[in-house]
Amino acid sequence: MSIKQISISTATALGVGAVVATAVASGTVLSLLTQATIYAVFAIGVGLLLRQNGMVSFGHALFFGCSGYAVGIILQMQLMSAELAIIATLAGLLLIAFAMGLVMVRVPGVAFGMLTLAIGQMFFLTASRSRGLTGGADGMNIEWPNTLFGVSMSVLTKPGSMFLLCWTTLVLVVLLLSLLLHTRFGSITEAVRDNEERARFVGIRTLLPRAAVYALSALVTGVAGLLSALNTGFVSPENLHWSLSGVALMMVVVGGYKALWGPALGAVVYFLAKDILGDFASHWMAIFGVALITVIVFSPTGIAGILDRVFLGRRLARAHHH
Amino acid sequence: MTEFVMQAEDVAIHYGGVKAVDGVSLTLTKGQIRGLIGPNGAGKTTVINAITGRQPLTRGKIILQGADVSHTDVVQRRKLGLSRSFQRTSIFGQMPVRKQVELAAHMMGVEDSGADADDVLRELGLDRLSHMTAQDLGYGEQRRLDLALALVGRPAVLLLDEPMAGLSVQESLELAKHLQALTSRRDVSVLLVEHDMDVVFGISDAITVFELGRVIAQGSPAEVRKDPRVREAYLGSAA
Repeated sequence: MSIKQISISTATALGVGAVVATAVASGTVLSLLTQATIYAVFAIGVGLLLRQNGMVSFGHALFFGCSGYAVGIILQMQLMSAELAIIATLAGLLLIAFAMGLVMVRVPGVAFGMLTLAIGQMFFLTASRSRGLTGGADGMNIEWPNTLFGVSMSVLTKPGSMFLLCWTTLVLVVLLLSLLLHTRFGSITEAVRDNEERARFVGIRTLLPRAAVYALSALVTGVAGLLSALNTGFVSPENLHWSLSGVALMMVVVGGYKALWGPALGAVVYFLAKDILGDFASHWMAIFGVALITVIVFSPTGIAGILDRVFLGRRLARAHHH
Repeated sequence: MTEFVMQAEDVAIHYGGVKAVDGVSLTLTKGQIRGLIGPNGAGKTTVINAITGRQPLTRGKIILQGADVSHTDVVQRRKLGLSRSFQRTSIFGQMPVRKQVELAAHMMGVEDSGADADDVLRELGLDRLSHMTAQDLGYGEQRRLDLALALVGRPAVLLLDEPMAGLSVQESLELAKHLQALTSRRDVSVLLVEHDMDVVFGISDAITVFELGRVIAQGSPAEVRKDPRVREAYLGSAA
C-alpha cells in the first residue's frame, strides 16, 4: 500500500467514525461498538507480534490488564496527574516489555507461548491476591479526574464521544504501524521473521528488532487496556486472565494476521457474533468455535485473506480486460 | 609472496570426544575458486560453519584479509567480507525478490543498495522476477536468490555449500556458468563444497579433499585427480 493510499484510507476511516458517532443514537449499540473497537486495538497488538515476529502469545492480557492497574494505582496513590500517569504507564510498559522481549524472544515456538501464558497467569494471581493494592479479586475503581487532557469527563464518557475516542485511537494505531512497517525497520523484522539465520548472514542483528516488535505489540495492547480502563472506570484480575488473551488470539485468527487491520476485523466479527448468537444460544462460544475451525481450515489467512483474494481477483480480471 | 584473502589455520571442531574436524588448514587467494570435496560426513559443512562463525572453534584460527576474525560473530564476519550460501535454500520466503536483496545490500552498508541489488539480480538472471515473492519462485531460481543474498555488498570470500544440490543437469551447468563469470567480475574468492564432480573439477582453480575431518590431498584439479589416496577414498576408478 502506498503512502497516498494509506492517507486516503485513514481520512476515510476517521470520517466513518465521526459519522457513526453522530448518526447512531442507541447508547447500547455505541457501547458495543466501543467495546469492539477497544478489543480491535488489543487484537492488533497480538496480531503484530504474530505478523512481524511469527510468535504466538497466550498471555498478552498481561499488558492489557497491567496498563489499567498501573494508571489505577498511580491515581489512587495520587502520585501524579492523570495525563502524566497515562504517559508514564505507556512509557514504562514499553521499556519493561522491551527488557522482557530481550529475554523472551530467544525462546522458540511453543515454549514462547507457554512462557507468555505462565507470566500472564503469575500477574493474574498476584493481582487477585494483593487486596490492599489492587482490590484483589473484586478489582479496583479508577479515580479519573473531572477533566482529562482538557476535556470534561462527563463529555468524554458519553457513548458517542467514547466511541469516537476509541475509534480514532484504533485508526491512529493502524496508521502509525503502517507507516512504521513501511520503513527499513519493517523490512528488517520481516526478514528476521522469515529466516533468522539468513538474516544474520546478511548482517542483521536479530535480537533487537524482535524485542522491539514485542515491546511495540505490548504498547498497542497497553493502549487498549487504558481505553478499557477509561471506558469502564474499572480494572479487575479478569483483565489479566489468559482467557482474554485467548479471545484476542481468536480475533487475530478469524480476522487474519497477514493484514495489519485483519485482527481488528476479527474483533468486530467476534462482537457481532457475540451479540447476535448470544440472543439465540447461551453457548454461543461453541458456535463461534465452529466458525473459528472453519476459518482455520478453509482460509488460514482469515477473513482479511479472503477479502484480499477477492479484491486481487477483481484487479487481475480488470487488468486482463484492459 | 602469495597474498591470501582467507586462511583457515589448524582448525579443529570437537564435539566431546568426536573430532568432526581436526587440524584443517586451507587458503584462498584473490579470485580463486577452491573446491572442497569428500564423502558425506567428512566435515566439509562443519568447516564452512567454523569459517563463518556459526560454529565455535575448538582450536585454530580464521584470518580474513590479514585480520584474525576467530573471535568475531557471524554478523561481524559478514560485514568484514565473508559470505555464504546454505545447503538448504536459505531465503526470505515471504518477501519480494528485489526487496530482500536490496535490504541485504543496505545492511552491508552499500551506499546505493538499489543499484547493487539490481546488478546482482541481473547477473544471476533474476531481474525479471524482482517483484515476485520468493516462495513463489522455482527451486532453481530460489537457489540463485540464495546466491544473490550472499553476493550483495561485494564480499571478498564466498562460501558455497552444495549450491547445485537438487538442481537438474541443465540448471547446474547454468549456475556453474554464472558462478565462474561472477567470480571474475566481482573479484570474489570462492570456497565451493559440491558433490557434482563435473562442476567442481570444471570450475575450480584448486581442490581440497577431506576424509574423516582431515585434509588428505590438496592441489590443482589435475593433481588431485591423479592422487592415489583421492582415487581410493573418494573418486573411485571412474575418475
